[in-house]
Amino acid sequence: MFGQANVLAQGEAAFPPSVEDFYLPSILPWGAENSYWFTKITAMVWLAVGILAIYFLVSYRKPQLVPTKKQWIAESIYGFVRNNIAVDMIGHAGVRFAPYFTTLFCFIVLTNFFAIVPGFQISPNSHIAFPAVLAAISYVMFIWVGIRHHGFGKFFKNSLIPPAPWYILPLLIPIEFFSNFLVRPFSLAVRLFANMFAGHMLLLVFTLGGFAMLNASAWFAPVSLLSWVMTVALTFLEFLVIVLQAYVFTVLTASYVQGALAEEH
Amino acid sequence: MAGDQNPRPTGGPDDVPPGAGQGWTALSYLIAGMLVWGFVGWLVDQWLGSDGIATGIGVVLGMAGGVFLVIRKLGTPT
Repeated sequence: MFGQANVLAQGEAAFPPSVEDFYLPSILPWGAENSYWFTKITAMVWLAVGILAIYFLVSYRKPQLVPTKKQWIAESIYGFVRNNIAVDMIGHAGVRFAPYFTTLFCFIVLTNFFAIVPGFQISPNSHIAFPAVLAAISYVMFIWVGIRHHGFGKFFKNSLIPPAPWYILPLLIPIEFFSNFLVRPFSLAVRLFANMFAGHMLLLVFTLGGFAMLNASAWFAPVSLLSWVMTVALTFLEFLVIVLQAYVFTVLTASYVQGALAEEH
Repeated sequence: MAGDQNPRPTGGPDDVPPGAGQGWTALSYLIAGMLVWGFVGWLVDQWLGSDGIATGIGVVLGMAGGVFLVIRKLGTPT
């Protein structure tokens, strides 16, 4: 971190930030070139898993009727996801999915939140791999749940054949297939990834841009200052995006599960 | 000020709209319709060597299909 700041002060950082900036140096073989098995990103994902597991275990170890502050926060998060996402989207059948949705929501919020925590300052979700795996889990889950609920034939009949006269079905079935089974996982993953990628890129542009202008000429100092003020403002915007994207991801997963469980229209 | 609020259609106690996922569903149908049949049209174009006419027809057909699906699936609550 301090090394980074020195680099910035000496004006050695390449100004237009590139995709390269998302590939952080290896940690475990320390400083190894082109080794991505254990980087800061990996460490942050494990840290997020650890924090969530320990926090929820500790805060619910000795549950009190009048909750302590820790327990109250944990219960509020779970209650929010259960009532406002699971039950709202799916109905009473949604309660049994609430634990998964809560895990998903907390994990995405926390990993996204690393994007604006000083010292971390990048979100694992700005690499497509992590959103892709989360989307794959949701994808397999809603198909699995649908098949379990309806049986194989009826589930695919429900999700592929819309209520329509037979002569337009050939037009509609490919659209249904494409939008239900191809676009869904793709858009789920890309929406989260693109938001976190763009957020990190924006912060890089405004931070590094300030240094680049300052190094170009001292006359640009006020503009650099403006650029850094923008960085602060964008950090607040990032916070909004972080929570919103976690919410959207969870709501959409819930909506897909709801679609898989729904009876024929 | 309380009178300014619109009545909520299904009366949830919270600020979350009842069908938050419906907007995405509609959008995905419209885009999927254009993409799927546009692609089919493009294949036909390649096959016949025509100059994008089939792609155009495909996109329009796909859009019509997408609109139809949105109306059927989201338009008439039962």
